[in-house]
Amino acid sequence: MIGCYDFCGHYEWTFEWLREQGGHDLVLDYWENAIYRQSQTHATALILQKGFDGMREYWGHTLEHEAAGYAATEAPGVYRIDMHQCPSKGFLIRNGLVQFHDYCDHCMGWIGPLMRDAGFVIDHEHNHAGQCWWEIRSTSDQSAASSTGELAGDADVRLRPDWQTPAIDHYNRAIHPDDKRPLP
Amino acid sequence: MNSESTSLPYTDTKPVGASDFYFAFNATFRFIEQRIGTEGLRRYWRDLGTRYYAPVAERWKASSLSAVAAHWRDFFKAEPGAEVEVEQTESEVVLHVRTCPIIKHLRDNKRDIMSVFCQHCYFVSEAIAAPAGLCARVSGGNGSCTQRFGAALPPQDLEVIASCASHVSTSSPLTFES
Repeated sequence: MIGCYDFCGHYEWTFEWLREQGGHDLVLDYWENAIYRQSQTHATALILQKGFDGMREYWGHTLEHEAAGYAATEAPGVYRIDMHQCPSKGFLIRNGLVQFHDYCDHCMGWIGPLMRDAGFVIDHEHNHAGQCWWEIRSTSDQSAASSTGELAGDADVRLRPDWQTPAIDHYNRAIHPDDKRPLP
Repeated sequence: MNSESTSLPYTDTKPVGASDFYFAFNATFRFIEQRIGTEGLRRYWRDLGTRYYAPVAERWKASSLSAVAAHWRDFFKAEPGAEVEVEQTESEVVLHVRTCPIIKHLRDNKRDIMSVFCQHCYFVSEAIAAPAGLCARVSGGNGSCTQRFGAALPPQDLEVIASCASHVSTSSPLTFES
């Protein structure tokens, strides 16, 4: 049997196995059609039906369940998460597990298509060290992402002294993992 | 759980895993079967055992049945809802799985479980055990089963591993208009 205790380990390993079998497109297909459409139907039901309220309900439950170190901020028209200690990436770092070239992409891999279908876009950055931030707005809302501290105050992950790493990935109004733009 | 108090090769800061991850197991197996076929799914399970779980195989090679028993005791302690007795004799380790935590969680949440789900226990464990000169055999399934680990066991008959064909059919692939 395989277990949920080390799920993130074999999940990450699976990305690389799929890439070996069918390339990048098979990994994207997996995130959208297996994870988003099959595994995360509980998240899908909440967010498609309830929008921001569904996001609060889903992430409030799942991030507590995974013992994440995070802050959620809500303001009119936007839902923001500051992830200070990603339980998933943290597990991989502590155990020295690196098979796939960018584990962090999996979140955009399933959340991006979900938000597309629910009528939202995502501003997001991850630093590959277990920290990231997300701002989710309606597709029709043309607001830019907040500046550091503007929405989340002291909880803004970008205020951390260890936020800046050599490889921060940036997404602007994204709905797909390949919307990634590395910061200069 | 820390690495000094467990025989598990990969350790987390929380003592027990998050059961909602079980949803992804079922989705992953089904996806691979649909995209790559039954042989592809079996290859995935074998590769998982041989490659991802290579550190487990190393421990079983070094300490044989005592390491097998220790692994499964620690493994099931970290799986939420598992009710499993681990029995070690001179010639084998037997897992009496009274409540499989995965099947229970999937059923409790009305997930449509793929029919060959329980075969993963055989293919993954057999791949882990082989380098240690052991084999794994599974009988039953679909919520409770018996798993044997030993050096000289009769060949696995896949027919004795129960199908998980679900009594619910509510989670066919979601489709949305884009």
